[in-house]
Amino acid sequence: MRKLLMSLWCSLLLLSGDLIAQTRTLTGKVIDDNGKPLANASVIVKGTRVGTITNTDGSYSLNVPVGAKTLVISSIDMQPEEIQIGGLTVYNLVLRPQEVSMDEVVVVGYNTIARRSLTGSVSKVSGEALSNKPVASFDQALTGKAAGVLVNTSSGLVGDDVIIRVRGGASVSMGGYPLIVLDGVPVTQGNQHEIYGKFNALAELNPSDIENIEVLKDASAAAIYGSRGSAGVLLITTKKGKAGTTSLNYDNYIGFNEPTRQLQVLNAPDYMATINKLKSNAGLPASAFYGDIDNDGKADTINTNWQDELFHKGLVQNHNVAISGGSASSTYFASLNYNENQGYLKPTLQKRGSARLNMTSKVTDWLQFGVNTQYSRTRMNNLGSGVGTAFSGVPSAPLTALPNIPVYSPDGNYYTGLGGNKNLSGYFTPNPVAVTQMNYEDRDAHRFIGSAFGELQLIKGLKLKSQVNVDYSSAYIDAYWNKDIGDGAGPGGVRQTNYNEKNTWSWFNTLNYNRQIGADHELNVLAGTEYTRRTAKFSYNSGYGIFNPDLLIINTANYQDVLAYDGIDGIDDGLASYFGWVNYGFRKKYLATFNFRTDADSRFGKDKRWGYFPSGSVAWRVTEEDFMRPYVFVNDLKLRASYGVTGNSNIGYFPALSTIEPDTYADIPVLSLTNPGNSALGWERHVQFDAGIDALLWKNTSFTLDYYNRKTLDLILRNPVLATLGFPDNTITENVGELQSRGIELSVATPVWHGRNFAWDINFNMAWNKTKVIATNLFGDDLYDNNDPNATYSIARPGQPLGVFYLIRWAGVNPLNGLPTFWDVNGNQKQFDKANAAMPWTLVADGSKTSGITASDRVLTNKSPYPKLYGGISQTFKYLGFDASVDLQYALGFYIYNQTRANLMAFDNSKNKLVDIQHAWTKAGDNTDVPRLYWSDNFWTKNASTRWLEKGDFLRVRNVQIGYTIPRAISERIKVNRLRFYVQGSNLYTFTGYTGIDPEANYVGETNIGLGIDKFRPYFSRTYTMGVNLGL
Amino acid sequence: MRYIVYSLLVIVLVDSSCQKKVLDIKPKDILYNDLAFSTPEKIEAATIAGYDGLQNYQFLAGRALLYVDAMGEDIIDRGQTTGDINHFGQLSNSAFAASVWSAGYDAIGRANRTLSGIMDNSDKLNPTKAKELIAECKFVRAVANFYLVNFYAQPYGFTLDASHPGIPLITVSYTSNDPDANKPRASVGAVYTAIIDDLTAALADLPVSYPNVTDTVYNNKTRGTKAAAASFLSRVYLYKGDYSNAKKYALDVINGMYGTFALNSTVDGAFGPTHYMTKETIWSIPNNSNDNPSTNYSLPQNYNALGRADLAVSPTFLDTVTNRYFGKGDKRRSMIVTGVGTYSTLSFTTKYPDINSRADWAPIIRYPEVLLTYAEAQARTATGIDGDAVAKLNVVRDRAKADTTLSYTVNSFYNNDSLIAAILGERRIELAFEGHRFWDLMRIKATVTNKYDSDGQKKLSDQPFGAQKNIFPIPQLEVDKSKKVLAQNEGY
Repeated sequence: MRKLLMSLWCSLLLLSGDLIAQTRTLTGKVIDDNGKPLANASVIVKGTRVGTITNTDGSYSLNVPVGAKTLVISSIDMQPEEIQIGGLTVYNLVLRPQEVSMDEVVVVGYNTIARRSLTGSVSKVSGEALSNKPVASFDQALTGKAAGVLVNTSSGLVGDDVIIRVRGGASVSMGGYPLIVLDGVPVTQGNQHEIYGKFNALAELNPSDIENIEVLKDASAAAIYGSRGSAGVLLITTKKGKAGTTSLNYDNYIGFNEPTRQLQVLNAPDYMATINKLKSNAGLPASAFYGDIDNDGKADTINTNWQDELFHKGLVQNHNVAISGGSASSTYFASLNYNENQGYLKPTLQKRGSARLNMTSKVTDWLQFGVNTQYSRTRMNNLGSGVGTAFSGVPSAPLTALPNIPVYSPDGNYYTGLGGNKNLSGYFTPNPVAVTQMNYEDRDAHRFIGSAFGELQLIKGLKLKSQVNVDYSSAYIDAYWNKDIGDGAGPGGVRQTNYNEKNTWSWFNTLNYNRQIGADHELNVLAGTEYTRRTAKFSYNSGYGIFNPDLLIINTANYQDVLAYDGIDGIDDGLASYFGWVNYGFRKKYLATFNFRTDADSRFGKDKRWGYFPSGSVAWRVTEEDFMRPYVFVNDLKLRASYGVTGNSNIGYFPALSTIEPDTYADIPVLSLTNPGNSALGWERHVQFDAGIDALLWKNTSFTLDYYNRKTLDLILRNPVLATLGFPDNTITENVGELQSRGIELSVATPVWHGRNFAWDINFNMAWNKTKVIATNLFGDDLYDNNDPNATYSIARPGQPLGVFYLIRWAGVNPLNGLPTFWDVNGNQKQFDKANAAMPWTLVADGSKTSGITASDRVLTNKSPYPKLYGGISQTFKYLGFDASVDLQYALGFYIYNQTRANLMAFDNSKNKLVDIQHAWTKAGDNTDVPRLYWSDNFWTKNASTRWLEKGDFLRVRNVQIGYTIPRAISERIKVNRLRFYVQGSNLYTFTGYTGIDPEANYVGETNIGLGIDKFRPYFSRTYTMGVNLGL
Repeated sequence: MRYIVYSLLVIVLVDSSCQKKVLDIKPKDILYNDLAFSTPEKIEAATIAGYDGLQNYQFLAGRALLYVDAMGEDIIDRGQTTGDINHFGQLSNSAFAASVWSAGYDAIGRANRTLSGIMDNSDKLNPTKAKELIAECKFVRAVANFYLVNFYAQPYGFTLDASHPGIPLITVSYTSNDPDANKPRASVGAVYTAIIDDLTAALADLPVSYPNVTDTVYNNKTRGTKAAAASFLSRVYLYKGDYSNAKKYALDVINGMYGTFALNSTVDGAFGPTHYMTKETIWSIPNNSNDNPSTNYSLPQNYNALGRADLAVSPTFLDTVTNRYFGKGDKRRSMIVTGVGTYSTLSFTTKYPDINSRADWAPIIRYPEVLLTYAEAQARTATGIDGDAVAKLNVVRDRAKADTTLSYTVNSFYNNDSLIAAILGERRIELAFEGHRFWDLMRIKATVTNKYDSDGQKKLSDQPFGAQKNIFPIPQLEVDKSKKVLAQNEGY
């Protein structure tokens, strides 16, 4: 495509070339800095339209007017060079790669356009930034790479949610994921629900296949995707073969991962001392003791660190072979990949094998065909015992398990007793090692993503393209709870299996007219149709009460109860779309783009089905103006502005339909309402204004600044309504509410130093975002996260930041008596004394009796879980054969509700506690934030208060890589084009004041309101790898 | 060639069949609500959906009964499966309070929707059937209101005229987010009146038996019948302190006006698989192996020593000092076993043995309750020691007492008060762990004494009648959503 455009452009130049009588012929060869010939480089006589392009061997021959003084030689991705023409007739030249090129082609959805003609806001991340990173899925590697793209990895558990938010939260109760389109195929993403575990669908793609990712951010760029564009669009382009080259690359890495900072819980002696102190302070007998494990009549001193028992160094490895090449008529790219990511958490493992084949073939000069396909198989071993807050989940189980009991009994079996501990309360944790080893949940998935297209040139500049796309995935999930310990003990062993399939097909046709008319007008017009159909289905089987655990197969002979059902997995819909796009440039100076798309979604009622999504944008390339001539350091300067409408199609399963479903009253079948429905339900619309500056300074410093203001109107809400309405889940889906996101994004890429042997480049991006709730429903009600209705401390309220924390105010521990104190809504400081049943609440000021702190004492904190400022800084260094890179990620101005900590400080259960509980108040004058130990005093931990709200600001050393490339002289001798060795550390260190699991820990998963709740997600992982890049 | 390709393309592109294909999609796994009341069978299925609402795992399939017991003195919530309920320490954001509230109003919503559906489609039913189904809906609504008002409001006798706040009374079917549903709490008196009206109407039109169904006995024991309505009505009047009505409706059941009911010969005869449909059961909420409150919430998992064993029987219940009518030789002691392993120092009930299938039915009304309600109401309305009250008490007690223990006679009691105390004592034992104890204390303005906290060690201070946290908080989320139209309970 690039080449095609280039040749077109050059032929235009040639065609319009003056007829010159007197000429002479210059020849030469253009090569790159590796000495490879550069084909299709343009060679033009400066100030004229006389020019040519180089042949495949890099050579050119050009007739120039006698008076010609300068040749301008340029090529895609290369820095243009000028040569003074003297008396010679041969001029050879080396072109160096250019960091930023304005002629670079940008993929903009169904079409491509030169970067200089772009009028919308698009960020580009190159595939190099993603490959060779030891991540479970490529989206994690996007973290901090593009301005305004927030990537939140929920935890270090392989397969856990990765939340991508482009320009802040775009919705409230509907999905906030951006649309991801891979070579034109809209791909399934998000958590593919396992039975208990999680699996990120994007882990099925091979990151090494990615050439680049473009993020369409503003309405102008995203509106071509209409109803699916509101949360931004990620366009992934995979690698393609290049004509005239053949290459084979082998890349690998191998290493290990381990948990990052761990929370410290009490060891056995401290645990017993703390529990017994809690009890004795409340007038109760001691209850925590060592037990007699080996039955010798004496208590055994045991100190088990359950975290150490469960964690290990997990192996990660990746092997990738890619070959590519092509001739003038066809190109190919093929790759094979094996990736293994063993979690630090013992049985967790993700293994992916994938193969890709991309091919294009020019049948005639007017007809081209191509396919882009990937097949992958991904196997996942997850925890059957679950994660998070489940009794046997990780990390709650290792954090709460009794430290004074052993892992194994003297007979070598898992220890299942409770040692010498008596009167345990609120303690359910089964032996964490036993449950993680004996229970499992495995997933075996196949996925095919493919597209095939034909492109027909009708007349010059007018092309018709038709492409069919398929994204098919299937997975078999096999989960087992053994009958001896943990959750399976009650029902006597449980096995569950689930087979599911998801299929998306789409077909689009575009008609594209791209032409320069005269010298002044550039026109790129596109019209298209697209049909998309999505389906899913599943089949589930379970057996309870296993008779013979050696045979797990589910049938009535082997289980006491067998259950089977199937269904539609919440996806059965279609989208019909018609769209148009016009990009017009006048003298390459004044640019305008107009977009229009209309989508009809089958899930809406018939008369509310069609949504219309227009957008427009203008740009002015200031550097094309004469008055800019003196400012030679400004190579390119573009001002642009856009305005438009997009929609949100993440609306769930037929939300508008009032539906009933069969159910049972034990043995009697019934029909009950499942959705009250809402026939008036229509599209959620996002209206966005964007103004930006793109600049290229000093030939290699690129600078992009954007301001945007996005309003989400007619928000589709799963509106939480009064229970007295009697609707299922107390929700009804309605178009109510309004959100506003405003922000500024800045990206700068610049060389700091480019010397003879040493080069240092910085790539910096920063985004400031503020998402405010303008309106909720008719009554202005507070909204809560639907996924966690009890987390009422994170709300959406008109006039407030999205997800603002709404909490009782903690007022510290009274140093005089060690009691927890709180502010009431009027600012009175009240203390709570569990020991005083008659008068538990008193005023701190005078000790007089007062009313208790209640929910009406909650206040808005103006603190939200969304970072105000976030981004990344990447630096690369080159010295001789050495290279190094350092990627930093940062986020500032946000808060986290540290529920993990609240749980691990509770005074009313026998679970293990954080070591910080030892800072509890003991005598008058102690200044501490842990009240005096008193058994069953639960108010301070159970009531959501600002005690547990913490600043999340962090700076993370995301990736450090050091490589060495064998000098060419040596590598050529062994017939190798490129040979590089490297070592890499990922997630090396996080600078933060946050005391919980991680400032990015996200308990709720895919959420808009409930982000920033830290509640027992597994620790993040740190990975060390070493690898080889070999190119032939 | 080129032109052939062109014309083919044009044909394909203008063909609109593709648009049809992606847009005319009807969901395959759900039914349009328009069909809900289209046939008599569907209308009946929608009616029974009301009971399915009551069968919610957070409501009458188990949890609601268990919460009432957890607040009484006879249970130790070892596993803290009721959170802070057992020590009266709930906060306004309690998930338990939120779940019960939602489940109750869900059942009421189902009943109201079906009522309105029957009205709109009465032409599809014969008039008798229509009346019968309407009666079933009212029965469901009354039951839900009764449990809700007792969880969220102080007992009827808390104020002289029962004018203290009850719960919002919902009698309308809503189809949209109608502000009309944001109702303030009606007084407890008004709620009782509504419950009694519904039950009285239901009693008139409910059948004695459901003959035209696959399993008549199953339907008779799990759906509303005249016996169930009359028995429930007697309980409502008992809670209200209207003893003459309590007596009247109980006696109708005892006299066989609505079918034959009797005690099984053994004390555990109404419990466990295959025993759910005996003549002792008047109305239960059924569960089966596929439709039950799961390993976390089912009665057998929570109560049974071999299940999760969350709820242990308190020494207060076992001790003849703190439970003086529970004789050492009482046969019901055979239904209490010691725990295994770690819990070997604790005792557990065997009323719910089906831990594997979790299919134990929730016993809502058993015949002994009706006998004891009658005995108590009769004693309370009689002057002197009433022989009939003693006789009905004996029916329950004689099955369980040690063979050597003598039956009561009128001479066994000093006075009427000691008879009433014996009836209440019998009720505590016979209906233990079936969701009665705490409310039986509260309706007579008694105090919870000798109650252990979840650690089984610490005795809680006495919990008197009228204490603020005897009742659940109105879920804070609901108070917030109502813009405070719903008044929160004192102390939350």
